[in-house]
Amino acid sequence: MFFHIVLERNMQLHPRYFGRNLRDNLVSKLMKDVEGTCSGRHGFVVAVTGIENIGKGLIRDGTGFVTFPVKYQCVVFRPFKGEILEAVVTMVNKMGFFAEAGPVQIFVSNHLIPDDMEFQSGDMPNYTTSDGSVKIQKDSEVRLKIIGTRVDATEIFCIGTIKDDFLGVINDPATV
Amino acid sequence: MKQMSVVADSPVHSSSSDDFVAFLDNELGASSPDSSPDKEAESQDELESVRIKRRKIESIDETEGSTSEGIIKQNLEASVEVDVCTHPGSFGSMCIRCGQKLDGESGVTFGYIHKGLRLHEEEISRLRNTDMKSLLGHKKLYFVLDLDHTLLNSTLLAHLSSEESYLLNQTDSLADVSKGSLFKLEHMHMMTKLRPFVRSFLKEASKMFEMYIYTMGDRPYALEMAKLLDPQGEYFNAKVISRDDGTQKHQKGLDVVLGQESAVLILDDTEHAWMKHKDNLILMERYHFFASSCRQFGFNCKSLAELRNDEDETDGALAKILRVLKQVHCTFFNKHQDDLVDRDVRQVLSSVRSKVLGGCVIIFSRIFHGALPSLRKMAEQLGATCLTEVDPSVTHVVATDAGTEKSWWAVKENKFLVHPRWIEAANYFWEKQPEENFIIKKKQ
Ligand SMILES: [Mg+2]
Ligand SMILES: [Zn+2]
Repeated sequence: MFFHIVLERNMQLHPRYFGRNLRDNLVSKLMKDVEGTCSGRHGFVVAVTGIENIGKGLIRDGTGFVTFPVKYQCVVFRPFKGEILEAVVTMVNKMGFFAEAGPVQIFVSNHLIPDDMEFQSGDMPNYTTSDGSVKIQKDSEVRLKIIGTRVDATEIFCIGTIKDDFLGVINDPATV
Repeated sequence: MKQMSVVADSPVHSSSSDDFVAFLDNELGASSPDSSPDKEAESQDELESVRIKRRKIESIDETEGSTSEGIIKQNLEASVEVDVCTHPGSFGSMCIRCGQKLDGESGVTFGYIHKGLRLHEEEISRLRNTDMKSLLGHKKLYFVLDLDHTLLNSTLLAHLSSEESYLLNQTDSLADVSKGSLFKLEHMHMMTKLRPFVRSFLKEASKMFEMYIYTMGDRPYALEMAKLLDPQGEYFNAKVISRDDGTQKHQKGLDVVLGQESAVLILDDTEHAWMKHKDNLILMERYHFFASSCRQFGFNCKSLAELRNDEDETDGALAKILRVLKQVHCTFFNKHQDDLVDRDVRQVLSSVRSKVLGGCVIIFSRIFHGALPSLRKMAEQLGATCLTEVDPSVTHVVATDAGTEKSWWAVKENKFLVHPRWIEAANYFWEKQPEENFIIKKKQ
């Protein structure tokens, strides 16, 4: 799920960045520092969307660095237990399949794939219904439900299921 | 100012939705007790602390009503569902079946399939059973392949001998590796030569087997070699096992292979790596293309590269082994008396092997004591009968010296007199070798 939230961060800036571009320098450093990072608390910071407020800078003894408290708006992505996500299948094997929703790694084990779908090995391994109408293979887009999440300092792991109504393939690359 | 600045990367009042922030906070408190905000501190002199203290979640009900989204309700259902789950395995330390967070690190790691994946014994055997049925339905077995000296030979660039330096100008393009066989891997400071016939070998073998790579090399090396051998990822996708994935040091084991042992063949030049699975092993004659590789095994001869030579493309070691594989595969699937799942490829392998020297009656003459037992065992596995006393039924005298009493006897009685390498070659090539190539000369 995406959230638009306000976060705060103390930014340290070298004196060479002071001057009339100070604000721009602060913002670009902020974007460089936080976008694409993952925090256990908020998930992935997808994009900085705006600056709420830049507080008064504090000059530090000795170094001349100045610390600015910056409040910024950003879009974060964090999956939750129970959430329905759309993801792209990255690997299919006899244990189940792995999928990605942005930077999130999701595993759907064959325990959580409908019983009427069977694993087919070969150079394009897949799970297929007995009548052949539905097929999950690499690059398929699937809708799945998250049943477990683990957010580490740098990575997010999820356990997903497609064993429920309205879950499963939403776009089969083989048919387009 | 001596005070350290304190950063707080924490939700403050958002213009968009306070509900979300509260929800987020609840959810975080509930689901990731291990992710301390300290981990987020990434800059050396920045200390982060979170202003909003994590609320303690007594029960899941507290989250109810904190947002208008349907997610909470689903969340509630998912959490309340009490399932008696055996936790067959884990991904990111969560059960792959119920999603519950699991403590400890039990089970076997399958990092070669995906980072963070572990499976328990029962789950492994369940997967092996179901997979076995479908695989046999496709008339396939499992095949585990070693890399070094079996499918290819690698050397550090620094270890190329002066007579081999001409190779530096003969390497093939990395842009389309499927066409080449000699590659310089600059970033790994290495040169790799693929064994002649390897591409046809893999293509043919893939029709009969589900294939794994299993190397004592490390993971980056293994993946790099897999890319050279299988640029399209048709054969070894997520089936590249390196020493980083094994469960025992200096040993290879089938415990990390998701195939039943009765259906696995192994091709490796190092017998002692497979102590527990010798019956599955097809021992490969070592491929020494580079001088460094010869030296490593104590050979003082010139390398193939130094001789500007190579194994034969159509009749080299891999081509010969492919014929054996076809024979074993054919025998496994074509005998109709019992159920497929009850068959054992190890028995088929040993029966094919036992025909190689079938009908040969061997007597050894003055073979070094240390070498004798293994040589005798090898000959017997190849189907030969080994005697200790001369006898009219003897067909071959195996000796290293033509001047022994038994050697004289062989010449007099018109029996074959061969060097022990005759047995070893038959063992490598699964074929009785022409005796005239293994004649022993009289010692001066
Ligand atoms: Mg080897
Ligand atoms: Zn479980």
